[in-house]
Amino acid sequence: MKTKKIAPAMRGLAAVTASVMALSIVGADIADGYRARIDSALGTQSYVTKNDEDSARFVSDYATFEEMKAAAKDIAVREGEEGTVIMKNDNDVLPLSGKSVALFGLAAYVPYPYAQKDLKAGNEDAVNLVQAFTDAGVEINQTVMDFYQKNILNEHIEEVENKWTGEKEKQVAYDNIYVSAPGDMATYQINEVPPSEYESLGAPADWKSKINKDETVGICVFARGAGEGNTYAPGSATDRAGKETGADPLALSADELAVVDAAKETCSQVVVLINSGNTMVLKEIAEGGAHEVDGIAYIGCLNDYQATGVVNVLTGNVNATGALPDTYVADNASIPAVMNFGGGYYADYESIGRNGDDPRYPGVEIANTEAGSFGGSDTYNGGTYVVEAEGIYVGYKYFETRYYDAVANPDSGANSAAGATQAAAWDYNNEVLYDFGHGLSYLDYAQNLKSVEVDKTADGNITAVVELKNNSDQDGTFLAQLYVQQPYTEYDKENHVEKSAVMFLNSAKTEVAAGKTEEVTITIPTKYLASYDYTNAKTYILDEGDYYFTAAAGSHEAVNNILAEQGYTVKDGMDAEASGAVQTWKLDEFDNTTFAVENGTEVTNVAEEADLNYWTEEETVTYLSRQDWEGTYPINYNEVEIKVGDSPKSEEWIAELRGETYTIQTDDPAKEGKDQGIRFDTATIQPNQMEDINDPVWDELVAEITIDEAVGAVIHGGSQTDKLTNVENPIVNQNEGVSGFTAAYEDKESGETYRFNVHSQTLLGSSFNPQLAYDWGRVEGNSGLWLQRYHLWGTGLTQRRTPYNGRNYEYISEDPMLTNRMGYGILQGCADMGILNGPKHMGFNDQEHNRGGISAYMHEQKFRETDLRCFQGGLEDADGMAVMIAFNRIGATNASHHVGMLQDILRNEWAFTGLISTDMMNNKYYFNPESMIMAGITQVADFATEDNHINMGENGADATWMHISEDTVKNDAALVEQARENLKYQLYTFANSAVMNVSTERVMTWWDIALKTITYVSGALAVASAAAWIVLTVQSGKKATTKKKEESES
Amino acid sequence: MIKKQSVGIWMNVAVVLLTLVSLIVYGVNISSEGYFKNAAVSNLILYGVLAIVMLIMVIVLAQVKVSDSVQLAVEIVSGILRIAAPVLLTLGLVTLVSARAEGLGFIFFSNEDVLLEVQTAANMSSATGTIVNMVCLGISAIAAMAAAFFSTKKKDA
Repeated sequence: MKTKKIAPAMRGLAAVTASVMALSIVGADIADGYRARIDSALGTQSYVTKNDEDSARFVSDYATFEEMKAAAKDIAVREGEEGTVIMKNDNDVLPLSGKSVALFGLAAYVPYPYAQKDLKAGNEDAVNLVQAFTDAGVEINQTVMDFYQKNILNEHIEEVENKWTGEKEKQVAYDNIYVSAPGDMATYQINEVPPSEYESLGAPADWKSKINKDETVGICVFARGAGEGNTYAPGSATDRAGKETGADPLALSADELAVVDAAKETCSQVVVLINSGNTMVLKEIAEGGAHEVDGIAYIGCLNDYQATGVVNVLTGNVNATGALPDTYVADNASIPAVMNFGGGYYADYESIGRNGDDPRYPGVEIANTEAGSFGGSDTYNGGTYVVEAEGIYVGYKYFETRYYDAVANPDSGANSAAGATQAAAWDYNNEVLYDFGHGLSYLDYAQNLKSVEVDKTADGNITAVVELKNNSDQDGTFLAQLYVQQPYTEYDKENHVEKSAVMFLNSAKTEVAAGKTEEVTITIPTKYLASYDYTNAKTYILDEGDYYFTAAAGSHEAVNNILAEQGYTVKDGMDAEASGAVQTWKLDEFDNTTFAVENGTEVTNVAEEADLNYWTEEETVTYLSRQDWEGTYPINYNEVEIKVGDSPKSEEWIAELRGETYTIQTDDPAKEGKDQGIRFDTATIQPNQMEDINDPVWDELVAEITIDEAVGAVIHGGSQTDKLTNVENPIVNQNEGVSGFTAAYEDKESGETYRFNVHSQTLLGSSFNPQLAYDWGRVEGNSGLWLQRYHLWGTGLTQRRTPYNGRNYEYISEDPMLTNRMGYGILQGCADMGILNGPKHMGFNDQEHNRGGISAYMHEQKFRETDLRCFQGGLEDADGMAVMIAFNRIGATNASHHVGMLQDILRNEWAFTGLISTDMMNNKYYFNPESMIMAGITQVADFATEDNHINMGENGADATWMHISEDTVKNDAALVEQARENLKYQLYTFANSAVMNVSTERVMTWWDIALKTITYVSGALAVASAAAWIVLTVQSGKKATTKKKEESES
Repeated sequence: MIKKQSVGIWMNVAVVLLTLVSLIVYGVNISSEGYFKNAAVSNLILYGVLAIVMLIMVIVLAQVKVSDSVQLAVEIVSGILRIAAPVLLTLGLVTLVSARAEGLGFIFFSNEDVLLEVQTAANMSSATGTIVNMVCLGISAIAAMAAAFFSTKKKDA
């Protein structure tokens, strides 16, 4: 009886323990794949980093945590000081010089992105505008502040239910706040509280009388939100009540203007501060506007300490030296790029999908709709397109060139109606409110270009000496900006080479004592003087003729200087006289050879297929040309019926849209990797080999990597590098943060926790100071050494093609060269500290809308001279060590498959030896592994870690891409060798970074030990209970048989 | 006949049904619009079907009258099947969790500013489906373990 009862219990116990054992064995494997994330969640450490400081190649500039922290804060304050742009300053409203202020607008008390917790450091000692004014001794009107803070905003803690755990979580909330994220081309609510609601929300009825009008300057602060996955839609504004107004969401709303009017009524003077990463429309408050104010200043997006710098400028504690990184227009519809923005579907996009007959994905129905960058359905994500028909004419390059032509080449149609939004005929001064590079200085000064030398060799530089004369009676810092006009010749007109009438080259700041003059030397590689001729020479050319260089306070002043030098006057239509000297450099002969070879690589067309006309074989797209402004002004090409199936190249086009950039070969066996005894360490790789990627040791090292791991480590790059068998490379975690490392540093001595991501991209851009960019890069690099984190996606260098991209706050400017020089500084600063800082998102991430697959069509001059040029400074001229590629397509080709951009230009022309990562891969039908490998991607980004194999899925195939397995790739030697080549760059980069400061050693965490213990204990119990159950069952059976026998015998 | 069935039999029947429901939920989940459409999970069907077959065999074996000499072998075979079935269901659950972890991470734990893009109605429905799938499989596995404690012998008439 007893055995009969115990046996089932033993069986049950065996079932439970065997299941637990299975759970712990498989669970341990899974946990291994997400080790970094589990460590982060549980606060454990799977890898111990050993750092021999005596032999470390990269050592922090700061001996103590306090010094490191102070350096970070100092940069942030400098960004505020150098990046604040005084756009308008009438009636001496600025500097405030002892006047009290009344702060109006929600953002005056909660500046953007203070309400967006992800986008700033959030240290306890952060300084907002109110605190900064108070610290500066500026009296703030208490009545207005009280009703804004206590009644309108009413900051409070709100309990929000965590939708995952159901637990209540506390978060800061406001009764009224601006909308932080514009959404994906949705309506955008401008939630400013108008004065008509002040009293109903709790303001005292006599609040106006509490402001001493004569002694008070009204300061209105208006913000616009931003964010990843967000794109503003033109005409999408809604008012506070949620009613669609049809207005531009970036224009000041009626409610905001009512706030301005209230400030004007109650204060003697009014200044508006623009708190946004997106260029706003300020016509109503600018000169001649119905709500004109005395002053306007741009303050970008404020991180923890920039407000102190902003107030230092507003109070005149420092001279104003910031300049606008974008052109401010009266109506965004006047921007030619806006004619083609957002995109739309091809007429026959559905026909590109497949009904289960894609040989890579048999049986899977794959559509061709846009599913967003985070996947969500089976689709090639190749249904939409946008035509960037404006060519090189982005931002000021359009407005200033058209202005120049209106004066110098009126037959070009520059004065025609095309693109005019303010009158029947186009007029620069109607369309442009504030030009690129505009920024008023408090102190009177003059900048004059004293000399220019052009070294016309492949590696040569332009060296300009600018004289800065301080005409004031105060010492101060001043900004010098260098511009050039290249000749626009008959050759250019015949061959569709476009030239901007003026091009920013570089800038610098220097201190000048009162009444004194200082010289500042500005250099820039001469190669940037060349233009890309994609139709005839198919390489970079320098036209013969005069090159006009000038130093000016903005692009418009620069054009006027050049026009005056060429003999034009106000009588010819110029809107101002020249303000500075021009230096001319003459090139006697057309040159199509000096810049036709770069780093030993012939420079020629590599992106012809990015042009929609390549596919249609017709002049479907007319690109904007200064030859005929009216006839070539862009139309919206999404209103033209584009059918992929009608193309003479439809088969090739469809293949690209399906991600078939490369097809795996089957007849060339690859060599399996074998251990040759070479390891990734300083014992094996000598210092001279370390810095020479052409040393054979690197090929020998990667030849050890197995086929499985070579392909697997690239296509499952993950969020940390995986340890490769035979190589024993260190584990390197990737970190996020365009404002710096988001990880918190914990000071062991004081117990203080601090975040170093205190930077503001927007204010760095408007500082126009490449030296500040370098200083920030170095501080960012230092913080990596303190955090022991060596790889960061730590800046954004995409060109701001239009004001509507929700990611503009992460980028620098509309201008490629300003972005290029800032990128140079940031990446070089980080590289000098051994930190891999990868800029985002190379390859035309011009909008977040449909970013995960939209085709951006353009000609090759635009391809090379706009977005790519933004990245060139950091990745070619500086020692940048990493880059992240955009989600979208260039032409029909996924940017991460684009051999022309990644191999021909990045690797060969620019000789870039760093990492090339995709953005977060989450659509296996859009990202094709073999195509990414062949394009040179070193790592495909995903959340997982330690999954560098292609045999972890069904039937020994890859877990993500079922057509990838050892069997399918082993007969494609080119693919496998390219994967090893890509990993060579990864390992080489680590070897030349602070990663070599350390070695990592895997240790057992408590959860490793727990899982192992559970496995062993449950295993032992399963065996014991199963054995006991069998024995007891047999015994019980025997007993029963014996009993039955006895019963039958009796 | 039905009244004579033991608790163990009823529990195994329940496990079979729950597993069947899990597989149906899985099928619907990977064929519906949303994040996990066509995202087949390696071996999940195999584990589930094997577990169902094993438990059906257990139920059938419990109904068969055999000689005493064979009864012992039947009991051992049935017992092994009842130990193996929850193991397979547990493996199925872990495999499912492993395959879905990254996707659920994207959907629920992405940065605040991209949630709009990620948490579409289709993706949320797909995520809910996969969570229901996990819950069903988890209950099946636990119920199968519990069932292993009970006898499947028919009650005496």
